[in-house]
Amino acid sequence: MMNRNQAYVLLDRLRIAQLRLASMALIVMMVVTLLDVFLRYVFNSPVRGSYDLVETMMAVFVFHGMSTALLKRRNIVIDLIDSFGHRYLIAVLVRISDLLTIATLGLYAYAMITPALQAFNYGDLKMELGLPVWYLWAAALLGMAGAILCAIGALIAPADSHHDEEPA
Amino acid sequence: MAASTIGAIGVIALFALLLLRVPVWIALTLVGFIGNSVMSGVTPTFALAGTVPFDTGSAYTLSVLPLFILMGEVASVTGLSSDLFKAARVILAGMRGGLAVGALAACACFGAVCGSSVATAATMTRIALPEMRKAGYDPGLAAGALAAGGSLGILIPPSIILVIYAAIAEQSVPRLFAAGLLPGLILTAFYMIVVVLVAFARKDYAPVGASVSLRERLAAMRDPWQFLLLFLVTIGGIYAGIFSPTEAASIGAFGAIVLGAVGGRLSLKALLRAIENTVVTCGILFVIIFGANLFSFFMVQTQLPSLLADGAHALNLSGPVVMTLIIVAYIVFGCFLEAIGMLLITVPVFLPLVKTFGYDPVWFGIIVVIVAEVGLIHPPVGLNLFVIQAHAPDIKITKIYTGIVPFLFAPLLLIVLMFLFPSIALWLPKLFYGAG
Repeated sequence: MMNRNQAYVLLDRLRIAQLRLASMALIVMMVVTLLDVFLRYVFNSPVRGSYDLVETMMAVFVFHGMSTALLKRRNIVIDLIDSFGHRYLIAVLVRISDLLTIATLGLYAYAMITPALQAFNYGDLKMELGLPVWYLWAAALLGMAGAILCAIGALIAPADSHHDEEPA
Repeated sequence: MAASTIGAIGVIALFALLLLRVPVWIALTLVGFIGNSVMSGVTPTFALAGTVPFDTGSAYTLSVLPLFILMGEVASVTGLSSDLFKAARVILAGMRGGLAVGALAACACFGAVCGSSVATAATMTRIALPEMRKAGYDPGLAAGALAAGGSLGILIPPSIILVIYAAIAEQSVPRLFAAGLLPGLILTAFYMIVVVLVAFARKDYAPVGASVSLRERLAAMRDPWQFLLLFLVTIGGIYAGIFSPTEAASIGAFGAIVLGAVGGRLSLKALLRAIENTVVTCGILFVIIFGANLFSFFMVQTQLPSLLADGAHALNLSGPVVMTLIIVAYIVFGCFLEAIGMLLITVPVFLPLVKTFGYDPVWFGIIVVIVAEVGLIHPPVGLNLFVIQAHAPDIKITKIYTGIVPFLFAPLLLIVLMFLFPSIALWLPKLFYGAG
């Protein structure tokens, strides 16, 4: 039987894999757009399908990029209560947030299944690349599944290890 | 139950969840989901909750967000900010308060390639605060100038928060970027005036440093060429209509990487860290945007903004009075809400109301960002103040609080000026892109 630490280590590996995938998607997005601009202005020959490719990479980037933020609890929270609440109360609230994170991601993932199946059944294609749209849905759902697992990882981590952070 | 009552209950539930430490994205999603279910049934709400994340997460227009964030992250790790401060310090050498004014100029310039307030405050604090303290500056004045200067990062384009506003308010990013430039420059000038006034009122707060020759000053202007190049290519390209925001952001991110690598200031490790930081930042930004979209749909259905507008008209409140109330509300929210969260929670409610009084959504976007800036620096919870204290733990937070007070007048004065002269924000968009 896998213990809590082993499970966390495994989920952390999943997080790293998703982080790398999202990072690659970001680089592809940047390079494709750059090439598109360069070829358009210099050779009047833009990259065919660059728009579709950026949208595809966005889906990979966004849905696989969530895992690190969730496993590391990098949420934006209003932590006013921390200054006067007992630490046990804060720990309980952190745990409730962890559970709500899993439930909310589950809700999104469940809701995404129907339109994903519709995209698969109707055979929708991206306009420029001809890429089946369900590929994007599959990438998004896989990312969501990983994000849910990483959110479970946050639940099994100590409640006081949270790092709430302001992103921008 | 009336739709507007359901809307009001939704807003109260949202704030209750936020105060109970529920992450912003979850509070927005849950209230949005339950609210939409009550208003239009569970099945349509599931359809909405299924398509919103996908449509948002694969939107070409939003690809500008990660790319500009990457540009800012790379600029942060390559020491570009250090060049800017060194140049500003030499150019203003010998002037009373020159170091603090230089720090503000460097903050404004760095904000123009970074787009993030906290990153600007943190980066510039690391560089400028030790030098100001070494020069005998009052720690409160030094910290206040840096906190205020850091907040410029979200107003001067490219601004991440303006891109998010564009997404939620369905406005053009280039138009908003054009609208943010003049107010950003004016606010920078106001902050500089505050420094000069404080420095002259309390001469012991800002000693005069050694002067340098005109030749040295002119030579110093050459140093931050990399910043100028990045700004001209990216923001200049957007203004001139040569690049779309996504294209400009890609070029900016790539340009920052190349300049960092060529100058030997960007290791592979630092680049990977910048990329990973971008992924993590966006990971949380996008789930908030998913939730904000659901919440926004809910607000539209409840017609709560219309009810607020009707109430304001029934009470014979004029547009400026309503705007003043909204600004006061934003300042109060800024005491406990983070800038992006505040924007995403409030814009769906306030923007329709503001539009009924004939205010331009682009102008309103700039006002919201300026008020969000105030939230970043006003005591007791302004985030930039804590960022600075984290870098200089020996400066008491009460000292930073007193140091920031004179700077708070600057954004408030700018808001008054924008009421009197809306073209401060609207002139450039009109010049570049015609009437909206």
